[in-house]
Amino acid sequence: MAFIGNEEQTRELQDRFKYATLALILGAVILASRLAYLQIFNGEQMRQYAEENRIKKVKIPSPRGMLLDRFRRPVVDNRPAFDVIVTPQYLKESGRASEVLNRVAALLKVPVADLEKRLEKSKGQASFLPVSLKENLTRDEVAELETWKLELPGVSVEMAIQRTNLHGDVASHVLGYIGQVSPQELTKLNQGVARKYSLDDVVGKSGLEKEFEPVLRGVDGSELVEVDALGRSIQKRETSGRVLVQNREVPSIPGKNLILSLDQDLQDAAVRGFGDKTGGLIAIDPRNGEVLAMISRPSFDPTQFSRGIDNDLWQKLIADEKKPLRDKAIQDHYMPGSTFKVITAIAGLEEGVIDENTTVNCTGSINLGNRVVHCHKKEGHGPVNVVKALTKSCDVFFYRLAQKLKSVNDIAKWASHMGFGTRTGIELAREAPGLVPTEEWKQKRFGVPWGPGETLSVAIGQSFMLATTIQLANAYAALVNGGTLYRPHLLRAVESADGQILREFPPQILEKTSLQKKTVDLITQGLWGVVNDPGGTAHTQAIKGMEFAGKTGTVQVIQIRAEKIFAKCATLPYRNRHHGVFVGYAPIKNPSIVLAVVAEHACSGSMGAGPIAREVIKTYLQKYYPDLYSDSAIADRIKADQKAKNAPNSAPTPREVEE
Amino acid sequence: MTYTTIDHRPEEPFRPDSPGYEENFPWIKWVPLFLEVVLLAIGIFNLLSATAVEDKSMGLWKNQIVSIGLGVLATAVILIPHYSTFSRLAYAIYAGNIGLLLVVLAFGKTTLGAKRWISFGGLSLQPSELMKLSVVIFLAKYFERINVPGGFRLKDLALPTLFVLIPVAMILVQPDLGTAMIICLVYGSMLLFQKINPRTLLILATVAGFAAPIIYNTGLKPYQKQRLVSFIDPMSDPKGSGYNSIQSMIAVGSGQLSGKGYRKGTQSHLNFLPEHHTDFIFSVFSEEWGFAGCVGLLVLYVFFLSSGMSVAYQSNDKFAMLLAFGILSIFFWHIFINMGMVMGMLPIVGVPLPFMSYGGSAILTAMCGVAIILNIANKKYMF
Repeated sequence: MAFIGNEEQTRELQDRFKYATLALILGAVILASRLAYLQIFNGEQMRQYAEENRIKKVKIPSPRGMLLDRFRRPVVDNRPAFDVIVTPQYLKESGRASEVLNRVAALLKVPVADLEKRLEKSKGQASFLPVSLKENLTRDEVAELETWKLELPGVSVEMAIQRTNLHGDVASHVLGYIGQVSPQELTKLNQGVARKYSLDDVVGKSGLEKEFEPVLRGVDGSELVEVDALGRSIQKRETSGRVLVQNREVPSIPGKNLILSLDQDLQDAAVRGFGDKTGGLIAIDPRNGEVLAMISRPSFDPTQFSRGIDNDLWQKLIADEKKPLRDKAIQDHYMPGSTFKVITAIAGLEEGVIDENTTVNCTGSINLGNRVVHCHKKEGHGPVNVVKALTKSCDVFFYRLAQKLKSVNDIAKWASHMGFGTRTGIELAREAPGLVPTEEWKQKRFGVPWGPGETLSVAIGQSFMLATTIQLANAYAALVNGGTLYRPHLLRAVESADGQILREFPPQILEKTSLQKKTVDLITQGLWGVVNDPGGTAHTQAIKGMEFAGKTGTVQVIQIRAEKIFAKCATLPYRNRHHGVFVGYAPIKNPSIVLAVVAEHACSGSMGAGPIAREVIKTYLQKYYPDLYSDSAIADRIKADQKAKNAPNSAPTPREVEE
Repeated sequence: MTYTTIDHRPEEPFRPDSPGYEENFPWIKWVPLFLEVVLLAIGIFNLLSATAVEDKSMGLWKNQIVSIGLGVLATAVILIPHYSTFSRLAYAIYAGNIGLLLVVLAFGKTTLGAKRWISFGGLSLQPSELMKLSVVIFLAKYFERINVPGGFRLKDLALPTLFVLIPVAMILVQPDLGTAMIICLVYGSMLLFQKINPRTLLILATVAGFAAPIIYNTGLKPYQKQRLVSFIDPMSDPKGSGYNSIQSMIAVGSGQLSGKGYRKGTQSHLNFLPEHHTDFIFSVFSEEWGFAGCVGLLVLYVFFLSSGMSVAYQSNDKFAMLLAFGILSIFFWHIFINMGMVMGMLPIVGVPLPFMSYGGSAILTAMCGVAIILNIANKKYMF
């Protein structure tokens, strides 16, 4: 037997080798054709792809301009933040993912479940894209992680730039926040902009960050770096033996800094004054309209927004009934209440219907047709002139004054001169215009003629009259400076990153009204009394040795019997409590700060808003007039006063003159 | 079906087609070994470049040398007995390897989400690689005794198919789609090589056509589906699943006619290529050696497979012929699928390129396969 086994079967199989050979040749030809297709016919293009793969243009982000206070102290800055990131692919390849995660959790003192949750969330994306495990590490945490680096495959610490509000939630509404450009705003943003934005850019989203975006934004640089497929930049390899790219680097140009008129010390004082109260405060220099302080409470910390807003936090902010995202200094308008009596007084004095000798006997109420309108003081203030009426905030005096005026339009005229009813034009968006009612306005708005009783309400800042906190401050500023209405502004100058002043912003006058000196004198006398006269509505807020003036206002949120205003407020539900308003200024001679405070639902102007104003004014006077108002200077003066009082023929103090 | 008793020991030498062939060219039977050595040398040389990348593959060529050393030992062992020993031990080998697969399922080492390895001491073994050889030995033994004039019909195939599907199922569970697929393709090749009844073939093709979508929907893991989808449209997710395919094609194509030069492949050295030392080793080679080098390598593989076929052809023994053919078809499918995958013609499945890819079990299996062919070439005239 020649063949092993079955000869015939083996022969048959031998026959089939020709098919096998054919299959082999066919396979080889297919592979060779594909090789030729890729390497010969498309080789050029593939080579180009390979080149592009290696050299990547990497953006060098430009630092955004800083925001500085009036003494050039940084308020908003760019700070490095350290995050711990993990590349899931490397973690997996190391084969001891859970061990590494446990180790990281122990180093950072966070539950390992948190880290696993983060990793779980990234399941959808490619595994070579890094996932952040924890942001904003402390220096100690960074050091710990770097020490154990070799034991933690796939884990690394990455530096990011974080836009940081150095004073947390102070003045967040003014300064604003930044965020990543969203797809929706991209087209709008790039209209008419030479340097286009891309989706990984950041842009100012509110406040000054938004309004001065073109100034603050720098020019990004670029750099050509060699990267691997994961986008990691790599060192030039010794083995490749040639320089692959000249390091063509285009440096970035930092954005310009904004020098603001705000004084951080006053801001801090305002926050201290507010405590956990709700409302807004604005302080203006009446000589030029510079805004010295501007806050709104409660607030938020823009730093938490700068690297993406946490959804839980955002929802919490939106849901908060105290509306922490709203700037209560400009976006909300309120009835100004008794603080508006100053405007009514201006109208009366300037229209000539009253003078310093016009006296009204306040009996606690007046009859208006068949209605009785009450003063806030049931037993009445007795005979009062305009000065006393302001000091004691006598409603009856202003009712009588209103009745003497031709119509509500006289009040409206002077209110408009003092800036009410129009936006002040501060450099911030979404300012509310407020409202100054006139007879024509009511006819047009409601189709009903003006009622005579409504003029009385407007005279004491109620009914339709609406003003923003900034309008109140600006109106009082115009009063104390003799009638010049400035445009309130926050920006003093723009400087380059290396500190060169590029542009300064002179004061802008909105309107110049000539008030008679007598008018200003009488009203300021009344305002002095509010704080410093023992009968003044805000005498409780007087500071020994430090004189300031102002006017209180208590604004009813719901209709309530006048005599019950003070008695019942604290027992009302929060939303129904009265707003407290205080507008004041200092010093008495040549005032250099005017401030308005609205403390929402704080029940009274003197006790709710007064202490806030007091805190800011005290800080202001002590800082700006140390010769007069430092603690030692005040003590000396009080001692001298005491001596003079005891000595015969002493010169009268202002208070004695007043009385 | 007829059964015959087979005596593997020839009574006298027989030279059917080429009288004087062996006498004139006594070295001819060593050609597969020679080509194996050449290919292994190229493989190590190429791996030196591929593992000079600063990642997990750094310096792994040393391990490959160790694997080749083990392969040399295995070759020596396999060359000692007559190949009929494999026929006698076929079922035992098959059962033993199934046992190893069971061990993998029970105690296997999990790497990259797959459970494919068993490790003892510092060594780890991938029994699914060896299973390819075991299945071929099993099938050669099984079909040796069976002759169906006019080709296999369905009922003839039931039993062998069952024995093929047992390890295939166990390997799919690991999961190792590539190896399972290779075993199926080798089985199919061996059946076609013998002869399938034309009607049966038609039925099988129809069933396969209907089964494919069902398997796709129920039998594949999401990442396996994703690979198929991204194969059809690699640009659908250029940074994700299609990424490997695109980068690999770029690597091959950018080699152009003459390549970028040894150790100058940017795609591999700058880490653009994933698994550049294992499944995608060919892209490293083609990037650095270009079309000229690739065609050269292809020609070497064709020579290698042809020399193996000539051994099978001349063995004059049905078992030896089927065994050699089966082993060669393992090599063929590995080469074809791996290169096709690297060049973007086929979906990405984990199939190593014989002699070139890094991997101890794959090298050992390939060298054992060549050793069996050498045994067949040399032991014809023994006894």
